[in-house]
Amino acid sequence: MRRRSFHCLLLLAVLAVLLPGRGADEFKLPLKPNSVRFAAIGDMGTGEPPQYEVAQRMVEARRSFPFDFVIMLGDNIYGGSKATDFEKKFELPYKPLMDAGVKFYASLGNHDNAKERFYKFFNMNGESYHTFKHGNVRFFALDSNYMDPKQIDWIKAQLHDASETDWKICFFHHPLYSSGRFHGPATDLRQLLEPLFIQYGVDVVFSGHDHVYERIRPQKGIYYFTEGASGELRRGNLSSSAITAKGFDADRSFMLIEIVGEEMFFQAVSRTGTTVDSGVIRRAARAR
Amino acid sequence: MKAKIRIARAASFLLMAVLLAAGGALAQQGATSGKDQKEDAAGFKEFLGRVQAYVKLHKTIEESLPPLKDKEELPEMISAHQQALARKIRQARLHSEHDAIFTKLSREAFRHAIRSTFQGRQAPHALATMKQGSPLTKVRLKVNEVYPDGVSQTTVPPTLLQTLPKLPDELEYRIVGRDLLLLDVRANLVVDLLRQVLPWILETQD
Repeated sequence: MRRRSFHCLLLLAVLAVLLPGRGADEFKLPLKPNSVRFAAIGDMGTGEPPQYEVAQRMVEARRSFPFDFVIMLGDNIYGGSKATDFEKKFELPYKPLMDAGVKFYASLGNHDNAKERFYKFFNMNGESYHTFKHGNVRFFALDSNYMDPKQIDWIKAQLHDASETDWKICFFHHPLYSSGRFHGPATDLRQLLEPLFIQYGVDVVFSGHDHVYERIRPQKGIYYFTEGASGELRRGNLSSSAITAKGFDADRSFMLIEIVGEEMFFQAVSRTGTTVDSGVIRRAARAR
Repeated sequence: MKAKIRIARAASFLLMAVLLAAGGALAQQGATSGKDQKEDAAGFKEFLGRVQAYVKLHKTIEESLPPLKDKEELPEMISAHQQALARKIRQARLHSEHDAIFTKLSREAFRHAIRSTFQGRQAPHALATMKQGSPLTKVRLKVNEVYPDGVSQTTVPPTLLQTLPKLPDELEYRIVGRDLLLLDVRANLVVDLLRQVLPWILETQD
């Protein structure tokens, strides 16, 4: 009896040592000096246990991969915008990250209240579309709920003025390409944005809205990712599609990204800490 | 559940096809004449005049409130500012009717612009945008009401936005069911609305 208890305790001790770092062995990111490191989450603001579990995996991942900021792909706060909503659906789940100095940059989804742009922890500076730069990467956060001529003019000017040597990454809620059965691609938006993305050399686009993870095969030289399952999930919603390079719709997920020089390394991690996709994009390989 | 979704999807596609066919027939009946174009331009001009007057009122009221600092606000402070602004604007526009900004002449201009978007080559894309972007069929709003907290936002088709008059920063177009709304985004207040001008889209949940 005592021997069995000892073995149970030993097993628990081994698990306690292994579990927090279980993702560490699976990290595929190179952790090169002076790289730009960030995470991407979308459709997360439910305040439900799965959101907290994904957030916990992010905290664990950061021990091995110390990312500096997170891009939010919309539907940041579902179901209301009272102070308690911000607390339960954002501040509490990501508190360990915020305490560690990780910055969050939001874009707005169809479930977000427009006043989120004034919320200081979303770093939107009062604007529903905005731009910021980390290292050699220029980010453009768009408001795909309301792509009016003013915003089109803005993104055109911003892309035009961005440095040729910088990576250009756009993120917004509605995906231009998606194999999600529920929503699918925003083709109306694609007709307006894609020509600009091609003209001004956008490298990568991140979106949410479909509650799955999907990496799209490069479309006209641009890489598209959907990460809309960091809180919500539409299990089994991906249809088999020729444009899908990799999909995951069995559980929640988030993304880790590292950019250094002409390479972008990425890794999608599930709620249980399993790597569901990883790879590298080499910018030089693209016709620019 | 899956069967219900399939039925809803099939019904919405059928409806879309009917709308497109009807749209094509209407388009054949009469392209917009030169007289209509002039009247539409006059309608939009009248609309923008009313918009300017509203924005002047908005600015005057907002200047009377403690300023909202864009970079430093917490949710309760943002809400308090928004509610105070909405309350004061509502008081100032107590007797506003639903045609205070969408005047009779401008209503026709908007109807023509909307019809051209939903009957032209872009129609399938514009309809798909509305369908994917949380159509709302159970919400009905009135002038001077706040847009309800927690209710999702139907995506306004970008191609439709290209055809409508450009708005100042304080205002946005919104879609609720078949209605086109003019929303004060800083006050979260319905400024005016145009009833039953958009195609019918089945509600989805996401």
